[in-house]
Amino acid sequence: MSRYARITDNIDWGLITTALAIVFIGLLCLYSSSRGTSLAIFYKQLMWIAIGVLVMIVVFVVDYRVLLRSAWPLYIFMILGLVLVLVIGREISGARRWISLGPMGIQPSELAKIIMIIWLAYWGEQKKHIQGYGIRELVLPTFFILIPVGLILVEPDLGTAGIVALISCTLMLLLGIKRSTFVGLLVLFISAMPFVWFSLKEYQRLRILTFLDPSRDPLGSGYHAMQSKIAVGSGGLLGKGFLEGTQTQLRFLPEHHTDFIFSVVAEEWGFAGSALLLLLYIGLVTKITQIGFKAKDRFGTMICFGVAAYFTLHIFINIAMAVGIFPVVGVPLPFISYGGSFMLINWICIGLVLNIAWRRFMF
Amino acid sequence: MNWNMNNTNNIPGPHIDDDLKWKAKIFIAFVFVLFTILLLRLMNMQVFKGSYYESLARNNRIRIVSIPAQRGKILDRNMEVLADNRPAYNLIAIPEDISDVSFIAHRLAGILGSDEEDMIERIREAKKRPYNPVALARDISFHQMASIETQLYTLPGVSIDATSERDYVLKELGAHVLGFLGEISRKQLEGLKPGSPYAPGDPIGKTGVESICEETLRGTKGVRIFEVDATGRKTKILDEKPPVPGEDVVLTIDKRLQLTACRSMAGRAGSVVAMDPRTGNILAMVSSPSFDPHVFLSPMTPEVWKGIIEDPMHPLENRPIRGQYSPGSVFKVIIAALALRNNFITPQDTVYCPGAYSLGDSTFKCWRRGGHGNMDLVSALAQSCDVYFYVLGERLGIDRISSFCTDLGLGRPTGIEFKDELSGLVPTKEWKYKRFGEQWQKGESVITAIGQGFTLVTPMQMTKVMSSVVNGGNVLTPRILASTEITKERTLNIREADLAVIKEGLKAVVESEKGTARAVRDPDFTMGGKTGTVQVVSGYSSNLPDQSDLPYKIRDHAWFFGFSPVEDPEIVVVAIIEHGGSGSSIAAPVARDVIKEYYAGKGPCDEQVCQDNR
Repeated sequence: MSRYARITDNIDWGLITTALAIVFIGLLCLYSSSRGTSLAIFYKQLMWIAIGVLVMIVVFVVDYRVLLRSAWPLYIFMILGLVLVLVIGREISGARRWISLGPMGIQPSELAKIIMIIWLAYWGEQKKHIQGYGIRELVLPTFFILIPVGLILVEPDLGTAGIVALISCTLMLLLGIKRSTFVGLLVLFISAMPFVWFSLKEYQRLRILTFLDPSRDPLGSGYHAMQSKIAVGSGGLLGKGFLEGTQTQLRFLPEHHTDFIFSVVAEEWGFAGSALLLLLYIGLVTKITQIGFKAKDRFGTMICFGVAAYFTLHIFINIAMAVGIFPVVGVPLPFISYGGSFMLINWICIGLVLNIAWRRFMF
Repeated sequence: MNWNMNNTNNIPGPHIDDDLKWKAKIFIAFVFVLFTILLLRLMNMQVFKGSYYESLARNNRIRIVSIPAQRGKILDRNMEVLADNRPAYNLIAIPEDISDVSFIAHRLAGILGSDEEDMIERIREAKKRPYNPVALARDISFHQMASIETQLYTLPGVSIDATSERDYVLKELGAHVLGFLGEISRKQLEGLKPGSPYAPGDPIGKTGVESICEETLRGTKGVRIFEVDATGRKTKILDEKPPVPGEDVVLTIDKRLQLTACRSMAGRAGSVVAMDPRTGNILAMVSSPSFDPHVFLSPMTPEVWKGIIEDPMHPLENRPIRGQYSPGSVFKVIIAALALRNNFITPQDTVYCPGAYSLGDSTFKCWRRGGHGNMDLVSALAQSCDVYFYVLGERLGIDRISSFCTDLGLGRPTGIEFKDELSGLVPTKEWKYKRFGEQWQKGESVITAIGQGFTLVTPMQMTKVMSSVVNGGNVLTPRILASTEITKERTLNIREADLAVIKEGLKAVVESEKGTARAVRDPDFTMGGKTGTVQVVSGYSSNLPDQSDLPYKIRDHAWFFGFSPVEDPEIVVVAIIEHGGSGSSIAAPVARDVIKEYYAGKGPCDEQVCQDNR
């Protein structure tokens, strides 16, 4: 068997095919929703997909274990990016999330998602001799998680900060926390809530209530949620057909190329289309966890589960928001929502997982 | 698709321990639960409730209507209402529900007596945002409202909205101070940041206090989301958020003084400003002629607009802060203060006035042909002797005069809350060279000293400056909002004795035998002041007792600045009457009336003090 054949044989083509199928559905929706205004974002998205695939290949080629050595430099790079965006970031409707790079913009907070996965996997690898962390072992990683989360909250970008925090929590739980410590933390967390609540100022409480119940702000997010629900529900079993979605085409739906793009899938392709998309997503996540089980070191396993958590959280929150069972927060849909940085990170994740899958054959 | 990976024997076993394996399985189970929730929810919405949502989408039955917030009132210093709200009816249309535009426009134009083409245009414009309700006519009469209400069933897409309309209690008497509301312009809308609360047709403060306090007065709109049936009728309210009324704004203006000043100015062009020299509070601010602010509340016809814009008297101009005039003899007060401060003269020094002053080849006449004879500072102020101040002007020179003027706050906006103040002009040598390419002439310093040169001031600047002279040398920023803090810009560093002498001179203007404003003295209170007459066209003598024979445009401007009481003044009034003739006979009575009213209003208050003392 030639070396070349072996390389290609052991690539997980199923993972790539699934991702490409999702990308294809996403392009259909983006075409449909941007047709009415300007196709520029459609072509931009095509370009980002091409860049994303190239970057995925680069990530795949380099042995992922170099990341063990670059976890700290990456972490520092991430913090610098998050601080920089607060200083020189472009302000768009009150939030600083973008750094301008010529004609493009990048979002350091998107990068933070993947770098935190790598950093926590690295940290778990360093401490793998410990069976179940207690409070003392948890102080340091908690600190290093809270720095980026805090910086993203300042931008402000509640959705992304929440995602980074949840991915981090998932990985910490997988790495293992002592049962007594876990229960203790849980009790502490729950019992602290009322105190936090009553120490808040009136307007802060109101803000949280609006966040939990968007119909308190019906002109803003409540309107989005309602129109999105109408779009999804009216898709019916088989959908209204490509380019036929009235909610999308008549522009009732706001943000229909970014955060609410799932409504376009659901409206134009119906339950059949949205269920197919969900199955593809389930396939993608299952594939990643399988690779995680079979990775040849704990570092690889943790990266895989981190990536699985990353995709699951995005998919769940985004779709739950579109179907009205989750508050409206800015969380995009992997491989589908318009956005360069996000598309890039999605492909980097796939590249990492392919890398881990392929290198378990190397010894 | 290759879902299962080939597990060949030569591959080392995965490094996953049992503990991690167990947790990972829980993780995967959790993932499956989440996806199942989504699938079930989608099935429920799309398969079982699909037809319900489809009907919602078909008609897009959801309407969102904003509920306007009650605008805050504008109150005077005694909490008397100056700008109020009264109930009104607006004619509202939801453009999407109007199918036959020309028919509806025809019917509505018939009832309202308005232009049909204009109505069609308004509806067409509104169709660009078809689900946004838009006001086709504001503040329609009760009769029109009733007549439309009874025919509503034949007018799909049209409804009547009970709302409130601005009511300016003072009408034209407070128009410049209060300003007025108007529909937000397309240009303003385009310049808005995302998330701004304004929609087309919304009222916004255009000028005056309405504009500077827009955010306070505006309040927060409420919102109502409801379902409608096919004809656009409400069927069910889905959600509602009540509006938050705007906050009231309290002014420093005293309604009674404002009215008195307005009445005294009736039929004349000019301004009156009254200020409390201790605080900078503006008690009255009048620009004449004025206009009825109510005409701006609803879209006006081009004829009305043209009438206002092309009025030769410029009623829209806010003269107290935008009218720029030569200061005339009132400026002599500034020269007197500067000369005393810099020791160019003592109060006892005298200048002989023969009726004219020669400098080189030029001769500068005193307004009194025969001359005043020997003049000291007090008598020079009292009789407004030009020669005395020509001498001072020559001695001081323009550099000192202009630098002192700048210290006083001339040549720049006074800092009152209004945004569109003009700066006036403080001439300097550099300014003249830049402007005319010529050197400064000594003679120009001389006429500057009597307020006739290049210097330009606004009535508000004059009020601020004169207040600082009579209040002991504190330059205070005028304020119209009670919420603005009292701001002391600087102290003039003039000796108290010098200020006292100036005040004595100003008192003599009114009280002394030969004072130029002797006619307005009042037995009930002490009053000081200074008259000023500005030649608009040189060559016409300003000492004609009666200028009413002259054409209006070339008559002199009349200034008067008055304050009372002379000891510890509580009120400063500056009045200017454009083409009014002589300051003493025309402008001084206006200021006197305001001061008299000030005491009349204080009366009960004093009684209270008296009773307390008993």
